[in-house]
Amino acid sequence: MKKTDIGVCAVMYSVCLFFLTMTLQLPKAAQIYPLCIIVLLAALTTLHVINMVIAALRQGVTSGLEDFKDFLPAQFFPIFGMVMVYLALMPWVGFYLSSALFMLGALLFLRVKWWQILLAGIVLLALVYGAFTVFLGVRLPAGQLFS
Amino acid sequence: MFETLGLMGQGFMNALHPVNLLAMTAGTTIGIVIGCLPGLSAAMGVALLLPMTFSMDASTGMIMLGAIYCGAIFGGSISAILIHTPGTPASAATAIEGYQMTLKGQAGKALGTACIASFFGGLLSCISLYFFAPILGQLAMKFGSPEYFWLSIFGLTIIAGVSSKSMVKGLMSGALGLLLSTIGMDQIEGVKRFMFGQSSLYEGINVTCALIGLFSMSQALILAEARIKERARAREFSDSMLLSRKELKTLAPTIGRSWIIGNLVGILPGAGASIACFMGYNTARQFSKHKELFGHGSYEGVAGSEAANNAVTGGSLIPMLTLGIPGESVTAVLMGGLIIQGLTPGPNLFLGETAKMTYTFFAGFVLIQFFMLGIGLLGCRGFAQIARLSDAILIPSVTILCVVGSFAIHQNFVDVVIMMIFGVIGYLSRKFGLNNAAIVLALILGPIGETGLRRSLELSEGDPSILFSTPVCWVLIVLCVLGVLSPFLMNRMTGGASDVEE
Repeated sequence: MKKTDIGVCAVMYSVCLFFLTMTLQLPKAAQIYPLCIIVLLAALTTLHVINMVIAALRQGVTSGLEDFKDFLPAQFFPIFGMVMVYLALMPWVGFYLSSALFMLGALLFLRVKWWQILLAGIVLLALVYGAFTVFLGVRLPAGQLFS
Repeated sequence: MFETLGLMGQGFMNALHPVNLLAMTAGTTIGIVIGCLPGLSAAMGVALLLPMTFSMDASTGMIMLGAIYCGAIFGGSISAILIHTPGTPASAATAIEGYQMTLKGQAGKALGTACIASFFGGLLSCISLYFFAPILGQLAMKFGSPEYFWLSIFGLTIIAGVSSKSMVKGLMSGALGLLLSTIGMDQIEGVKRFMFGQSSLYEGINVTCALIGLFSMSQALILAEARIKERARAREFSDSMLLSRKELKTLAPTIGRSWIIGNLVGILPGAGASIACFMGYNTARQFSKHKELFGHGSYEGVAGSEAANNAVTGGSLIPMLTLGIPGESVTAVLMGGLIIQGLTPGPNLFLGETAKMTYTFFAGFVLIQFFMLGIGLLGCRGFAQIARLSDAILIPSVTILCVVGSFAIHQNFVDVVIMMIFGVIGYLSRKFGLNNAAIVLALILGPIGETGLRRSLELSEGDPSILFSTPVCWVLIVLCVLGVLSPFLMNRMTGGASDVEE
């Protein structure tokens, strides 16, 4: 049994509880189907808990962190943060500028050579411009600051 | 009969339209590039480029997505052979013999074998697509609401059962997806469900956003967590990629066997190319007159694996197109593409005007194999260099494409947020052993099952025995039970050789 599976079960029960609370606010007739699914998810999670207990008794407990042995927090979280900042910036400065800044920031952080940053940025943004703006006619966010 | 032949002929005429030929060229090339990049999968590639097909004609869009699918399955063999890293799980078995051939200075021959075997595997799989799809489609026309309910349950049980290391976790993923599929307007009662005040959730969670998040954004996060490694330089090769007549003759029975294996595996919901490649490889070894070469660079091994994984492509489209049951993640994404085009997978695809689109896609699927052969043989050296592209460049590039792709659906920033939420769900689900394919399938099949169940109960005035009222219902119930038992059967079939199909 992996300790991390306890977290998985806790999240699943929380999801059930969250949806149950909202389901009970619906009219009676509309409650039936979501309730069936919630019961199903709760039952499967309970079955998993039973399996976990049996596995713990038979084979012992492992941390489950072996699945994260290659995980580099110092790399993952800054990149994840950059993605969040990128999404937050986009409505303000527009798609192209925020994408260029994100590309530059992420590639500099990942220590990519200058000429590769330049080439990758130009190629990707040209591809997006050609495919989405010109070919599909998508109006990508221009940015509130510039509109 | 003559009507079908007419549709087939018309399909080829339509497929040969310059726009479709352009879509095949672009799709196959993009697919091979995605396939040969270790870390990017066929499902991810198709999901990422799905928004590109919105403005296209339905048949052209489907041809392009089909080309990406076939190209990606073949493309995985290039990096498997030249840098011993399978580009996709479907080429894992190819790496065994292919890289040994490269070490012996026969990389050209290995790539040529992979190209030709992939071509014949894919081409032959079109035969079953042409002949079985309409038959199964006619059978599906007899389905009523109770049968559709069981059909959706069958699709969920088999994918959840087969494609996870833990069957219970697979089923949990399916149930989670079903719960998420209830978000939006309750079509029968006319009640808003779990919409969190967002009117954009009126029609439920946009499946394309979920697909892009679960398969593409989650992959970018997976790449971001591990140390960026320099990929091995692809080995230069100077030997010919063309095979002699004698070699082709030797390979013919291997390709034939792998075609049958791949096709059957493809038709079975839940099984996929990563299982087929090992089965094809094992069978090639079993029947080979030169067993001693296996493990030391056997081109029969390469052919067995590659013909089988490409034969899956045509077979896997059959349950998706005829029953609306996508058997694996790539076909789930393709089904998303069909839905976006306003088409409902199922028997209606073989009726009236829609049949023309379907047969154009079938004809396009045949032609794609020729494009794959040509582009593969001509471009292998170039693609081998692309396989070295660093993950550092892929991470922001994939993220930007996910953002622009999800935004393009409704030109709405909420879709980008939904995509990102599903990206995080997809990442966590992969890290903790849940199953993204089951989540997305439940999102697609959930509304079908719900409508089937509630319409059935309305018809019977609340009597649940209607769900057990026809022989077809019972056949589907038996299939559901078999679906749950399928992991044990699959383990026996593959000898535990293959890993998870994600």
